[in-house]
This record gives sequence, C-alpha cells and structure tokens, in this order.
Amino acid sequence: MSAVSRRGFLRASGLGLGVLASGGLAGCATSMKGDFAPKAGPRVVVIGGGWGGATAAKYVRLLDPKVEVILVEPNREFISCPFSNLVLAGVRTIDSLTMGYDGLRKHGVRIIHESAIAIEPDQKRVRLGEGYLQYDRLVVSPGVDFQLEQIEGLAQNQDKVLHAWKAGPQTVQLAQQIAAMPDGGVFVLSIPLAAYRCPPGPYERTSMVAWYLKTNKPRSKLIVLDANPNIISKAALFRAAWQAYPNIDYRGASRVVGVDPGNKEVRTEFDKVRYDVVNVIPPQRAGAIAVQADLVGGDKRWCEVNHVTYESVKHPGIHVIGDATIGLPVPKSGNIANAMGKITAASVVSLINGKEPPAIAPGNTCYSWVSDREAIAVVNAYKIENGKVVQIEQKLTPAQSPLVAQRAIGWTQSIWADVLA
Amino acid sequence: MSAMRFTPRLTALAAALVLGAWAGHAAHAAGPLDERGALKSVTCAACHGQAGNSRSSAMPIIAGQDAAYLKKQIEDYAAGKRLSAEMEPYAKQVLNLGVDDVAAYFASRRREPTPIASPADAVARGRSAAAQCAICHGPQGQGDAAKLIPSLAGQAPGYLREQMLLFKQDRRSPGDPALTAVKALLKTIPDETLGDLAAYYSSLR
Repeated sequence: MSAVSRRGFLRASGLGLGVLASGGLAGCATSMKGDFAPKAGPRVVVIGGGWGGATAAKYVRLLDPKVEVILVEPNREFISCPFSNLVLAGVRTIDSLTMGYDGLRKHGVRIIHESAIAIEPDQKRVRLGEGYLQYDRLVVSPGVDFQLEQIEGLAQNQDKVLHAWKAGPQTVQLAQQIAAMPDGGVFVLSIPLAAYRCPPGPYERTSMVAWYLKTNKPRSKLIVLDANPNIISKAALFRAAWQAYPNIDYRGASRVVGVDPGNKEVRTEFDKVRYDVVNVIPPQRAGAIAVQADLVGGDKRWCEVNHVTYESVKHPGIHVIGDATIGLPVPKSGNIANAMGKITAASVVSLINGKEPPAIAPGNTCYSWVSDREAIAVVNAYKIENGKVVQIEQKLTPAQSPLVAQRAIGWTQSIWADVLA
Repeated sequence: MSAMRFTPRLTALAAALVLGAWAGHAAHAAGPLDERGALKSVTCAACHGQAGNSRSSAMPIIAGQDAAYLKKQIEDYAAGKRLSAEMEPYAKQVLNLGVDDVAAYFASRRREPTPIASPADAVARGRSAAAQCAICHGPQGQGDAAKLIPSLAGQAPGYLREQMLLFKQDRRSPGDPALTAVKALLKTIPDETLGDLAAYYSSLR
C-alpha cells in the first residue's frame, strides 16, 4: 500500500487525525506495521461488521463511551441478506438494501476496512497487514464461509454456479440470470443440510422465484433439491403458500453432490437434473478467521460459546457471536446476531468495568416473503436457565398476509437502524 | 478560561467530577447499564427502535407510553388475550425478565414522534373525524393513564390503522369489556376514514 493510499485509507477509516495526533500512528503512517494504533485505555476490537459485529461495536460505545471500539471489516458497505430474495424476484433493488457505516462512526466507532488475518489470544492482539491491534476484549462476528469442496465441480466454477447467499454482486448476477432465462426454462435450487445461515431463507427464495416465474415466465419451472428430508422452517406456512405455485417441484432428501456447468447438470446421490439456471447454496461453516483462530469445535465448523457472555469456550477474552456460533437453541438469523451483539456488548462492558455480566437471552423475529405483497413470520422467545439459553416459546403467524408484510418492512427499518444508525 | 474563578460551587463540582472519575475506576459510575430496565429492554429495539422510538410506520413507538398501559399489554399478549404471533412469545420473555422494569424503562424514555409524514388532506379529514376519539384519548391524543387509555400523539400511522382495523373486526383482545365502547365506535367508521384518523393522530406533537 503506497503512502498516498494509506493516508486515504486512514481518512476513510476514521482512524485518522485523532490517532495521529495522539502519536499512535506518527511513526508508521506508510503501512500497518507493529502496534500501529497503540492502546490508550480499555479497548474492544470487533472483527466483522455484519448484523452481529456492527451492533456489538455500536452498543459498546453506547453503554460505555470510555471504551475505545475498533471495527475490522473489509467491506465498505453493509448489504442486508434479509430482503435480498426480493431482489431475485425484481421486487426490490440491491441499492435499497445497501447502507454505509457512517452511523457507527458517529458513535465513535473506528472502522478499519481490512481483513483480520490472524488472532493471537495469548498476546491479546489481532493481526492486520504487517501490524497488529491490541485489545482488552475481542468480539468475533465472522459470519459463514462456504464449504465448496463438498460439492464436486463447485470450487472451480464459482463464476458460473452462484450461491447468492451473501447479499451483494452475486444477488444481482443471479437476478440477471433468472431474468434472462427463456420462458419454459428450468431453475434449480440446491439447499444444504442444516445447520446453515437463515433456515427459512431457501424456502423464501423458492417462493419468490416461483412468484417471479409464474408472473413473468409461466411455462418455466423450479426444481428444489433439498438435502434435508423436508422443509426445515415454517413448513406448513410455506406449503400453504406454494399452493399458488404449481411451478415448484420440491424434492426432499435430495443432496446435491456435483455440478457440471458444461452440461448444465447437477448430480444428487441418486439422480441427474438438467437446468437452465442453477443456484447452489453450499454447505457452510464459521468464517475463516474463526477456523484459523481455533475458535471452532470438534466439528471444525462452528464455535461453542458461553450462553450468557458469548465468550468462546476455547479462548477466554474472545467473544463469538452470530451465525458462527453453535449450541444455543437459536436459528442462524440476522435478528439473533443483532441480539447477540447487544448482549455481548453489555457483557464486555460489564467485564471491563469489573461487574457481573447480565443474564439476558436473545430473541428471534423472522419474516419470510411468499409473494410480492404477502409474508409470514416466526418468533422465538428465550430465557436463561442455569446459565443456558432455553426456548420459552415459538409462535408462527396464522397465515400469510399483507399486514405481516407491512410489519416485515417495519422490522427492517427498525433493525437496520439498530445495527447501523 | 481566564474568566473562570474557582467559586465554592465550581470547586465542589470539580471535586465531584474527580470523585466520580475515581468511583468509575473502582466500581463503575452509574451509566446506561445501570438504568432500571435498560439491559432487559435491549432486544426490543430490533422492532421498536432505539429506546422504543420506532421509526417505521408499522411498528409502534413505545417510548413515553404509560407504564401501567405497557404492562397490561404485555400481560394480555402473554395470556393470548391480545392476539399477536410476534408479541406473544416476546411478552412471555418480558414477563420472565421482569415486566415492571421493562415498562418503567420505556415509560421514562422521551417520545420522538414518528418521522412518517402523512398527506395534509388526510390529516385534515382525520382531524374533523376525531371528535369522538377525543372523548377518551383527549384533545391532543395524549390518552388517560388512570384509565389505561394510551397516548396516540405522534404514534406510527401504519400501527394506528392496523389496530383500528383489529378493533373494528373484534380481533384485538376479543371479549375485553374495557374495549367494548371503542369497538362499537369503530364499527361505525368506514375503513378509509381509519387511515385519515391514523394520519391525524400520528401528526400530533
């Protein structure tokens, strides 16, 4: 990185004059070398600026402005996965789901748009470039990464076989592929075995693509190859919604094991299925930094945490939140990550101040669209019992309706602000 | 700074600040963490907005609402009297955490009126249709805490309209005798006027 771009980076990251003036970066302004932002007081570093990490960063600042917060996130914009299935159906634009991080900066969160390359728990530091950041407490919200190797042909064809399971360029590309598909074409969606990010997401995607095809390409059909034996979330409500979509051919217990873009064919354990457009949602694990830092358990996929503080059971001082966690009876959802971010912020601030962390359980509100104007929802409430998160109740909306869809829109407006504003 | 003199009052203030800072290191000074109900309420913000000030049309603002009213709603949701798939589980969660603390927290927040602006003609029509509403909810829609009648002023318009529809269809708290009169009244009001009333009450400050 050149000196000029480094200065530009410092300006854009908010790690600018304040730190320079305090002498922290004066001697190493040309690269991130050594301790490039020395710690002056209690500091929390957050890795990952998604639903969990951005929320945690903001709430640490809200709860205790004496604590310095540095958020490490390579992307300069936040793109919401919730509602991104509407982009595939042409109902929403990706721009309407794209937000900046300036709201966090207003809370005094310093943002470094880089990837954390390693964590050194013994030294309490995070490696970035050739330098490092020291922390008193670290919050890791790494999201998921894809296990491409589990499907033959996937790793070498990532440009042709899209996941669109992290909202962004792939969402737009898949929407374009669906729009360009001839009427009469076949869209194939592959769903991995649970656990994966957003349990109802693939079924919402099925609903929205089916709605789009029914409306725009009535001779087309949609084949859903689900590795799970049946729909794993809101099953009765999705089944009811799909009565309106005879173009859906849902096949449970159909795990995709290979994809061949040359022949436009996917292979399950028993069958071959031809497609015109394919969307493979690959099996997933915690984001790479969690694996690199040995935060994952024996399954080498997910991170086990304390149910009250979200502190890793493997490395004290490191808190893991969001989709990367396992062992709590909660779905891998944005709402849960947001709740974990707030609870973790309260824990971290309590621990820094020598107080006992509060025992607060998360909650889950999850809306799914089933057409351009109707949605359904599931809500899960929890409590802490003997130090563990326990579900109190799960409740589903009685039926799909436009009123639920209006509340879904209300939820995005509130929660996006809670994460970022 | 040159004009500042160390009056006894300022000296006392400075001493208090120093002591406060010292206490902060020793045991953490009272901050947002220590405010009654604050931590128990953090998950509510996902829908109801920060400190209960929802900025959306569909999700209600609960900041500044009377605590006894809020508590009754939580109890009714949890008991399945006020019907809501979303709120029934959360109400049970709030009861588990301590409803008095959560209600006190939101009641003590300053209400920021909805930023959703309604068309001026709808607001005007709503104003002229609101005479009967004002008998219970007050001339400024401020409600009557003693009778558990909520404030409507500055409330989110989508939420107000949805609730009026639910009253009209007897789908909000069916059988609650306290709501007989409001339901009878709303049955006489056409659906399109409900949108005007929502526009009017959401516009009040």
